[in-house]
Amino acid sequence: MKTIVCIKYVPDTSEAEVKVNPDGKTVDNSRFSYDINDADNYAVEESVLIKEDKGGEVDVVSIGPKKSDVMIRMALAKGCDRAKRIEDERIADHDPLMVAKVLAGAIKSEEFDLIMTGCMANDDGHMSTGVALAEEVGVNHASMVKKVEVLDGKVKAHRELEGGLMEVVELELPAVLTIQTGINEPRYAPIRGIRQAQKKELSVAGLDDLSIDPAEVGAEASQVVLENLYIPEVESAAEFIEGEPEEKAEKLASILVKGGLV
Amino acid sequence: MSSESQTFTEKYDLLGCIQCGRCTGGCPVTVRADLNVRQFVNNAYDEDKLEELSRLAEIWDCTACHTCAVRCPKGLKPLEVLIGLRTIIVESGKVEPTVRDALQSVLLEGNPWEKSRAMRTDWMEGLDVKIAEPGEPVENLFFVCCTIAYDPRVQAVARNIVRLLNKAGVDFAFLPEEESCCGSEVFTIGEEGLFEMLVEDNTEYLNEFKAERIVTLSPHCFTTYKTHYPDLKNPVIHYTQLLDELLEEGKLVWKGELQKKIVFHDPCYLGKQGGIYDEPRRLLKNIPGVELLEFDRSRERSLCCEGGGGKMWVESTSTKERLADVRIRDAKELDADIVAAACPFCVLTLEDAMKNLGYEEEMRVAEIMELLGEFVEA
Ligand code: SF4
Ligand code: SF4
Repeated sequence: MKTIVCIKYVPDTSEAEVKVNPDGKTVDNSRFSYDINDADNYAVEESVLIKEDKGGEVDVVSIGPKKSDVMIRMALAKGCDRAKRIEDERIADHDPLMVAKVLAGAIKSEEFDLIMTGCMANDDGHMSTGVALAEEVGVNHASMVKKVEVLDGKVKAHRELEGGLMEVVELELPAVLTIQTGINEPRYAPIRGIRQAQKKELSVAGLDDLSIDPAEVGAEASQVVLENLYIPEVESAAEFIEGEPEEKAEKLASILVKGGLV
Repeated sequence: MSSESQTFTEKYDLLGCIQCGRCTGGCPVTVRADLNVRQFVNNAYDEDKLEELSRLAEIWDCTACHTCAVRCPKGLKPLEVLIGLRTIIVESGKVEPTVRDALQSVLLEGNPWEKSRAMRTDWMEGLDVKIAEPGEPVENLFFVCCTIAYDPRVQAVARNIVRLLNKAGVDFAFLPEEESCCGSEVFTIGEEGLFEMLVEDNTEYLNEFKAERIVTLSPHCFTTYKTHYPDLKNPVIHYTQLLDELLEEGKLVWKGELQKKIVFHDPCYLGKQGGIYDEPRRLLKNIPGVELLEFDRSRERSLCCEGGGGKMWVESTSTKERLADVRIRDAKELDADIVAAACPFCVLTLEDAMKNLGYEEEMRVAEIMELLGEFVEA
């Protein structure tokens, strides 16, 4: 089994306040912590579990800055074999199709059985890079995968649908799977493992190294124009009910009845 | 620091053990969990058994209170055998997700609370704090502690210290946001590689500052720096020692009265491990109006609150009463109004227990600095 796992370095926006820069198109990221995208972390674990079970190799591919190397080293420490980081300012990375084209360009020379990536990125939430990548490399795909069974030349993917429904699909390999969180329990990458993983190959490439035409993956090629980012106005709809408990209960009941809620 | 080639037996001096059982006899956790530390010291002698031992859930029940180490007549540290077994699990990567996230956060952001490094000094907002600069002389260099820096419940410890020292005219500075976790919990969780890295990096970082001494706010940082950082240039003290000096010099000016009965809970890392028992008591006793009580189990015999040893991230499997609950019930029996501690973990666990027991109306858990903040002019 040869698996390629695509991962993304994303900010954690759950703690620090999110502020839009004056340009209206970028976010002030000076106070965020960064880490591997949640769903991608599960994809890494799944790829390593498959390797441990079936043998083979796992390659990591990521588009991101130098400081994301620590995330890549962690993936290598967990059991991935080699990594490629793509860094190039010309990539229109707000557009998942452009990102998919770059990833496809980076793996086009590789033989592979599976490509796995998270089903969604924490930062832009497009949920489309993996699917677009399948199209770009011309293979089957299954999205929102919560369980993987590797068979002979095929893979059975259990997809999580709305309402707790699971759908099972069988795909011919090679294929792309976008992995849902909760499919496994991602392991910890101990420091000694990260140190040992320093020996594993981590190559850095720009568009030119990958023979990707910048005109095909840059802003001018993209059909998506990032217009504006803004923080929605907080609409306050909370009403505090005052009074003695009985009074409160009465007022609450009348609101619920008026609103047609009971 | 350990060398890789040492065997488990050599590293923890297992042959020094005479199996007297004083470690297990003193271990506070035995009343609620299946932990028998003496047995681990005995069984870990067999290198082939280590894997198997490391998979026993009870190795995660140890709170690193150090009672066993204090009591061992042979000077061993039985708890470190458990930590060594935890290392086997940590290095396999198969730890609880909460532990995984805490450790990873230490590596990436310098704190176990999954907070961004850029927010480490947010607690200083609105305060007049001098930020230390490498090479610039300062008498007291403060190390804030990850928990006090980020947890709003205990940030008052740092904020009150700043106000009080400014008023007392003390020369002090706090480290900038580059300050990283001391590794106390990283050590007890058993992430040996990460701990070694922290010791190396923090030693180098802290030695750049020209301070007469480093003042820690948490006893965990205090003990960790004192015991595990052999190359640190500056002496390390706990803030209660500095305030005790100020008390002696008459630099703490009291205001108001606290007509309350206070019982002091000796934090394991301050007392049993740091040897500091009297300074916090003197500070509390000197607050006008205070009557200071004593737990039956106090000083070296103090009951652990179960906040250390990585327990902030590992749930105990035991359903028996938590030690913090026992502690609060003991305080209730003494008729104490306030349970005072000098450790952020103790405050968090004891307060939790107090709420759990429904004593919120009549009892209060407070860090000493919270009380001093209220009763010393600043
Ligand atoms: S107290 Fe020390 S000597 Fe006694 S059993 Fe425990 S480890 Fe061994
Ligand atoms: S450190 Fe405390 S909890 Fe851990 S084994 Fe020793 S006495 Fe028991």
